[in-house]
Amino acid sequence: MAMLNDAVREQAAQFLQELPHPVRIAMFTQEIECEFCRETHQLVEEIAGLSGQISLEVYDFVADKEKADEWGVDKIPAIAIVGADDFGVRFYGIPSGYEFTSLLYAIRAASTQETDLSEAGHQFLSELSKPVHLQVFVTPTCPYCPQSVVLAHQLAIASPLVRADMVEATEFPHLSIKYQVMGVPRTVINETGHVEGAAPEPMILDKIAEALAGAEE
Amino acid sequence: MDIQPLIVTPVKEHARVPLYDLVIIGGGPAGMTAAIYAGRAALKTLLLLGATPGGQMSNTEMVENFPGFPEGVGGANLAQRMQQQAGRFGAEMLVDTATAVDFSARPFTIRTNSQAYLAKAVIVATGAVPRMLGVPGEGEFFGRGVSTCATCDGFFYRGKKVVVVGGGDSAIDEGIVLTKFADQVTIVHRRDELRATKIYQQRAFANPKIDFAWNSVVEEVLGNEVVTGVRVRNVKTGKPSVIDTDGVFVYIGMVPKTDIFRGQLEMDEWGFIVSDEHRRTNVSGVFVAGDVQDYLYQQVVVAAGSGAIAAMEAEKYLGEYPLSEIETEKQKSEPPGVCEE
Ligand SMILES: Cc1cc2nc3c(=O)[nH]c(=O)nc-3n(C[C@H](O)[C@H](O)[C@H](O)COP(=O)(O)OP(=O)(O)OC[C@H]3O[C@@H](n4cnc5c(N)ncnc54)[C@H](O)[C@@H]3O)c2cc1C
Repeated sequence: MAMLNDAVREQAAQFLQELPHPVRIAMFTQEIECEFCRETHQLVEEIAGLSGQISLEVYDFVADKEKADEWGVDKIPAIAIVGADDFGVRFYGIPSGYEFTSLLYAIRAASTQETDLSEAGHQFLSELSKPVHLQVFVTPTCPYCPQSVVLAHQLAIASPLVRADMVEATEFPHLSIKYQVMGVPRTVINETGHVEGAAPEPMILDKIAEALAGAEE
Repeated sequence: MDIQPLIVTPVKEHARVPLYDLVIIGGGPAGMTAAIYAGRAALKTLLLLGATPGGQMSNTEMVENFPGFPEGVGGANLAQRMQQQAGRFGAEMLVDTATAVDFSARPFTIRTNSQAYLAKAVIVATGAVPRMLGVPGEGEFFGRGVSTCATCDGFFYRGKKVVVVGGGDSAIDEGIVLTKFADQVTIVHRRDELRATKIYQQRAFANPKIDFAWNSVVEEVLGNEVVTGVRVRNVKTGKPSVIDTDGVFVYIGMVPKTDIFRGQLEMDEWGFIVSDEHRRTNVSGVFVAGDVQDYLYQQVVVAAGSGAIAAMEAEKYLGEYPLSEIETEKQKSEPPGVCEE
């Protein structure tokens, strides 16, 4: 059975209608011990079929370890959205439920390289001197979560120093415990910093600055 | 595996401020229903969905009392259906939040983060957001044990203990949802009986995982890195005590979302927008629907109903006061303080 019903497929196709530049979806999967690999694979296959600008590559997490290392993929199912560059946009766990929206946004932004970031946001990013890793923990039933994921991915697309992951908390319970996720969205910044809730752009930027300053001490 | 509604994004490329017959602010059941009616009435309609398309429905596990769904319907699913129905009749939809409005002259101006829009008529359907306890620790531990969304965060309380604060439908229903994850759910309620609908009460009383702290109010949320407990006080005896818990879910009612309309639309002392039975506000051409004007019922079906009324009234109003093209052009050439990109 198709993952996307007709109405959703139509909406998605329309959303991805005029992608100016090609986008690669690289998916990492595994036959066993991966609850949602099969569904994730099917989902990206259906998405890739919606636009001639989207190509799909599927890798085995074990057999293609080199590829996984190259793209910094350390858990599965994983999706890397790659445009003219690898902007560091990743999805760990299936982007279903509300996160389907985040997936479409990531594809479109990787193609257009356009973001909704403010002038101040771009300024902030241009002054970054150290790498930033954002991990946005979500559940598929959280309506506020795509805001945080989309923002994190846009920051990654706008800056070569930023990479951003969606992490589906229920599929990676050990990470939820490690990062003390008790509510979503929760954005973990460079392992140490964190933001609770769907924080707006200025607040995320403040927290990034804080985390970077804290790491210096 | 569910795939939820596609969120549409603001398009930033308008060279000038676009004019609509009707701008609906809010994408809950009230706004979506209004958009269905407006679309069918062939009004050029923009629906601003804000940060939570679907509104409160989108974090409601199951809606059992919306007619036409005898088995009940998932809140997110119902939201998705309404959104698709609104789209089908031509309403444009954007995930954009109104940050300021000017209702002092027609066409009205609605400003968002990225853009300004002009409207010959407006429906305000911004709904309501959870009321918070306002006690020490609540803000500090928000997202670290304090939550207002059981459907979002329930998963993290598998095998744990949680407290639900409140005694109405939402508190009891979400308390029952939480028993799917948590081992124990303690409902803290300030009275000695529940306000919730009987069917919810019966289910809660029959659920072995649910217990009650009656006549009790939460005075502090306790914790270090994460929540460890709540300090409560018995309002009858005055006696304080501590309930150990891993999570606190707050369902003590809703507050209307009306800040951006302050000074322009008449409100009651609680901030609900005042309207007549035709959902007309004190500004001619501005209508209101849903929880933002309803402190009494706050139900999906009621919000949808008032959305229909507001849209039908807006259509009638636009027929009577079409706003001539010349007038419109004049207004458009000098939109109040709008910066173009
Ligand atoms: C946990 C819970 C369970 C519930 N269960 C039920 C139930 O079983 N049955 C039932 O009938 N009712 C239930 N309700 C109540 C019901 O959900 C509400 O009455 C209904 O959603 C109100 O609809 P609304 O459209 O007025 O507002 P809301 O649903 O609150 O929607 C408001 C909309 O406005 C948008 N918005 C806000 N500000 C702006 C802005 N500045 N610019 C643009 N957009 C904005 C938001 O993004 C949102 O889309 C429940 C509520 C809760 C919280």
